[in-house]
Amino acid sequence: MKKPTLVLDGDQIGFNLGETVYEVAERSGIDIPTLCYDSRLDPFGGCRMCIVEVEGSRNPVASCTTKAMPGMRVKTAGGRLDMHRRVLLEMVVSENRELDVDPLSGYASQELKLLADRYDARSGRFNGKQSGQSFEDDPNPFIKRDYDNCISCYRCVRVCAEQEGDYAITVVNRGFETKISTEFEGLLNDSACTFCGQCIQTCPTGALGDLKALANREVPGETKKTRTICTYCGVGCSIDVLSRGEKVIGVLPAMDGPANKGALCVKGQFAYDFVGHRDRLKTPLIKNGSGQLEPASWEDALNCAAEGLSKAVQEHGRHSLYAIASGRAPNEVAYVMQKFVRAGLGTNYIDNCSRA
Amino acid sequence: MNFTSNQEIILRWKDEPAPLLGVLQEFHDRDGYLSEQVLRQIAKTLKIPVADLFGTVTFYHHFSREPGGLEAPRVCNGPICRMHGSDDLLKSLEGASPMPCSGRCDQPIPVLRGRETLVGLPGSDLERKPSLMPPVLPDNMEECVFVDIRDPRRASLEGYLNSGGYDALKIAIELGSEGLIKLVDDSGLAGRGGAGFPTGRKWKAVADASGNPKTVVCNADEGEPGCFKDRCIMDYDPHALVEGMVLAAYATGATRGFIYLRYEYPETEEILASAIREAYEKKFLGQDILGTDFAFDLYLRRGAGAYICGEETSLLNSLEGKHPFPRNRPPYPVTNGYEDLPTVVNNVETLASVPPIVRNGAHWYQDLGIGDQGGTKIISLSGDIVRPGNYEVPLGFSLMELIEDLAGGCALGRSVQAVTMAGLSGGFLAGGDLDVTLDEPSIREKGSFLGAGGIMVFDDTRDMVKVAFQAMEFFAHESCGKCFPCRIGTQRLSERLAGTAGPTDLQQWLDEVIDLGKTMTETSACGLGMAAPLISSSLLKYFPESVSHHVTG
Repeated sequence: MKKPTLVLDGDQIGFNLGETVYEVAERSGIDIPTLCYDSRLDPFGGCRMCIVEVEGSRNPVASCTTKAMPGMRVKTAGGRLDMHRRVLLEMVVSENRELDVDPLSGYASQELKLLADRYDARSGRFNGKQSGQSFEDDPNPFIKRDYDNCISCYRCVRVCAEQEGDYAITVVNRGFETKISTEFEGLLNDSACTFCGQCIQTCPTGALGDLKALANREVPGETKKTRTICTYCGVGCSIDVLSRGEKVIGVLPAMDGPANKGALCVKGQFAYDFVGHRDRLKTPLIKNGSGQLEPASWEDALNCAAEGLSKAVQEHGRHSLYAIASGRAPNEVAYVMQKFVRAGLGTNYIDNCSRA
Repeated sequence: MNFTSNQEIILRWKDEPAPLLGVLQEFHDRDGYLSEQVLRQIAKTLKIPVADLFGTVTFYHHFSREPGGLEAPRVCNGPICRMHGSDDLLKSLEGASPMPCSGRCDQPIPVLRGRETLVGLPGSDLERKPSLMPPVLPDNMEECVFVDIRDPRRASLEGYLNSGGYDALKIAIELGSEGLIKLVDDSGLAGRGGAGFPTGRKWKAVADASGNPKTVVCNADEGEPGCFKDRCIMDYDPHALVEGMVLAAYATGATRGFIYLRYEYPETEEILASAIREAYEKKFLGQDILGTDFAFDLYLRRGAGAYICGEETSLLNSLEGKHPFPRNRPPYPVTNGYEDLPTVVNNVETLASVPPIVRNGAHWYQDLGIGDQGGTKIISLSGDIVRPGNYEVPLGFSLMELIEDLAGGCALGRSVQAVTMAGLSGGFLAGGDLDVTLDEPSIREKGSFLGAGGIMVFDDTRDMVKVAFQAMEFFAHESCGKCFPCRIGTQRLSERLAGTAGPTDLQQWLDEVIDLGKTMTETSACGLGMAAPLISSSLLKYFPESVSHHVTG
């Protein structure tokens, strides 16, 4: 069957049934502005920045929630669309304390600022009461809660529910009095929060910020971004490690990571201090005659381990040994481990810590 | 209050349809507030994340989370009650808080205390009073919905049956569901809650939609300020609504129904509950209705104070126990409604119109209207007039005839300065535009709309900028917070109409107010944000000097 098509800014474009107008436009390289959109979440339709003109429709429609239909004629910019986008941004700017936040705040933290500049929305119009209420005294080491800069897009609430399944935070009250809160307005630590940091990374204003990265904001040097894999478990989440000089200053989730698509847990997101920690092991250690651990070469260490294991088998039989593979090891390493235990040591006593 | 009995209550609700509002209301009534302990137990047993439940509870104006909250007086601060001194009444009552229009504009000022509505003006004693009966119309005006409502026996099933009750259902069963839909379609009946969608077409869409069970929902969340017609129908003719719902169910194949009643009508809840009980007893509800294999169960749920829940998709979310934000449309409720299944959502007046239409025929109903307009519309008329009340008039009836001839006009020596349309949602009409007939095409031509039919009259002594501010403050209070233009726009427009923020240069002030309005109208996600700027734009249109004076002093 021939693919259905629609006309987007004058070009005829094929699409798959079920795709939204926004998705078709994005695939075609058209940059429609958004604030409440995160491609990993259900379309919400709150910010109205992604409005487009659809021929035959009196008012513009939100492209994120509008399904592409065969024969649709869509215009994504110009005319009243730009006027509305500017007014919407002027409104949002008017309710917030500040636009310019440190990029270390989080992955999406510059979205509002960039759009405000793109649409020239720092006009100072629509001044009035500010929305939100900062909760900076929440005593947790990871998540800054500066709701003076919240624009009520609810991406944090939605990522927590839809992506993480934690439902730690919610929308309380309504209208201009809306705010983000935990159950009964308590601390994050007393809520269902797992401190995965996903709310920080999807926040488009820096209202939610990465406290650990922000604490490094005075570290001198250019910020370097290095794509790597999180070392904590076998899932293999892609991360971008941020460093200045020799110091790791933060971690950003990789939205294009094939295993995680931007998701991380508290360890991958925040637990990178071991990298530069003074207690970190840099060589193997062998216990000497008086029970003290001493640095050794890998060759000595492996020989020592082989001797110890062989001795145990000789003295107590092969089933006297039991091996646990680390959950931090990927499948391939776990496979080699069980091969070593079964074929090398001759026992089936092998398990993985993830099961324990 | 002990653990076991709490759990028993929750478990009883757990297997009911749409349990959340029901269980919350039961605890709210029992304890006088919703405690953290109760909410945690409900969340656990109904398997709702506790943060979600907490957020949802805070959305509703009337759920109290402090002991004693239920009994604390709530004083109506709707536009009409404010003209009658509700601010003074509020100050005089200990522990009182304001509430948005609670639908007694013909009998100000209502004060809600626990489960009773008291009425009185500042300085007088508050009294428990039933809602007002519609004024009697001249002999030459024929009514549809109100024709039998003044019969005092009508609220009981026996009285209802004595005046033709359930004859329509018998006729419908003869006609079959397709015949019934055709009859309703031919009558031209359209949604009387304000949207005006043809009822027959809606029913057909649900009948044709795949997916079961289907549902009929009656939108009795009459939250529009200045509207009090549905309360009157339900208080005095509850069986007409029940029969209308049974007919809708028969037409569409729905097997379950809900009446979603606004919180502010506790007495009405008791009347409806007893009507539903009677209808079950006499087999007009339940299994094997009238000896056929047609079955329909009807449930009553009470809202908790949120104007947006009168928007049908918010209402459905509320009923399902979700956060009551409006849904993105399409899809529409006719295919994806309650629990994502085909659902009819109709207003009280629409449903109550169906039994007389079925009894008297499509042409009879059509002929009730004037000119091209078919049928009747109930207008809730209030404000600066001699006889406020609910008037069922033919569509196409003259607005000024209604105000002057039927309602007695303004007090002696005063004249009409402006009226609101569609409660507050249609903004103001004034000057030459008051010469209009009551039907959508004529009113839309003036830039407004008839909507649910609430019309508030302001005489020449009223400060229209102040009235506009109070209206916008209402919309800001009720904005759900989902879409940016409405959440921020209603707030900014209120501040400008109050004079608490905004430019002092007239041109800049006008530019801001006009830009806010345009963006709200054209980009808001639902009718609330689209309609709210009609208040400011109609104020600018009819009262430019007052606006200029307001801005520049």
